[in-house]
Amino acid sequence: MTRLEATRVVVALAGDSPIVASLGHPAYDLAAAGDRPQNFYTWGSMGLASSIGVGLAMARRDLRVFVVDGDGSLLMNLGSLATIGLLAPANLVLIVMDNEEYATTGRQKTPTAHGADLDAAARAMGIAQTATARGEGELRRAIEHLNGPLVVIAKVAESAPVIKPPLDCVFIKQRFMAAIGNAEPATAAQRSS
Amino acid sequence: MRPPAWAAGVCEGVHAAGSRAVVYVPDNPLSHVLGEFESRYRDVRLMLATREEEAFGIAAGLYLGGHLPTVMLQSSGVGNSLNALTSLILPYQIPVLAIVSMRGDEGEWNAAQVPMGRALRSIFDAVDMPHATVASADAAAETVRLVGKTAFGTRRPGACLLPRRMTSASISG
Repeated sequence: MTRLEATRVVVALAGDSPIVASLGHPAYDLAAAGDRPQNFYTWGSMGLASSIGVGLAMARRDLRVFVVDGDGSLLMNLGSLATIGLLAPANLVLIVMDNEEYATTGRQKTPTAHGADLDAAARAMGIAQTATARGEGELRRAIEHLNGPLVVIAKVAESAPVIKPPLDCVFIKQRFMAAIGNAEPATAAQRSS
Repeated sequence: MRPPAWAAGVCEGVHAAGSRAVVYVPDNPLSHVLGEFESRYRDVRLMLATREEEAFGIAAGLYLGGHLPTVMLQSSGVGNSLNALTSLILPYQIPVLAIVSMRGDEGEWNAAQVPMGRALRSIFDAVDMPHATVASADAAAETVRLVGKTAFGTRRPGACLLPRRMTSASISG
């Protein structure tokens, strides 16, 4: 299963649910699988996609919040797993596209190529529902049948991204917020007393 | 036990600015703020983060989900937060009210806290992060409220600095 194939599975199962993507190739593949208003693409802040997902899931308990992360990115913010275990947002689905390399920066190997086990790390941090998916069927079953907070390590092959998402950060944010029902007012000051 | 006046003021200001979601990394003076939130502001949700940059990431998600978020941290943690601020919070124009408990300013005893404490305002200025310093305990509520109002009204983050000379009398350890 390539990362793009895995991303297509996530987009298909997400329906209208929001998807937060880690910068670089995970975000590029999310755009390739389907550029939709409910996609929040990060262009920086490596490691924070899962944290953004935690905040969104805590704020909007009515939505199932998907995060498409990378193994290198999650390793940069491993404490996020402890926070997910602590806050336990049941509506959070964290999918880690584990290609065992820093693909965006030139294919350097990550620790998962040498045995680092992010599924075990998630369980050790108190996250009850975890899975490692080695094919599209396993990935689909994990997302469909397990309740969150759910961490799925999707073992994927690197696939060269073909397109990039929108570049304008404020456009990404405003399109996303409008799509999930939290539109920013045209005049910012209207929002605050 | 009554909280120190500055801590009660911080809570009052955060609440008056409309924030009901606080993500924090613990700090000794901020423990008084946390205690006041827990005992008197039941409508404020407190969330612990393991690291300050993570706290800003959670705050961004809270904002996307419709909340007006506050992050509480020690000044040393601003160093841990810079990539989150400069590549997420600032470019995406995500408003966050940051409450920063100062170390390294007047009254500091730990040399390891001094360089970051002294550089903090210059660093904020360099990345165009607005900041204001609470002048006294009496001014805490209004300063925090106004920094929050500006942040949430203009969709920029804003930091409220709590000087050590104000908070240190209430440190227990």
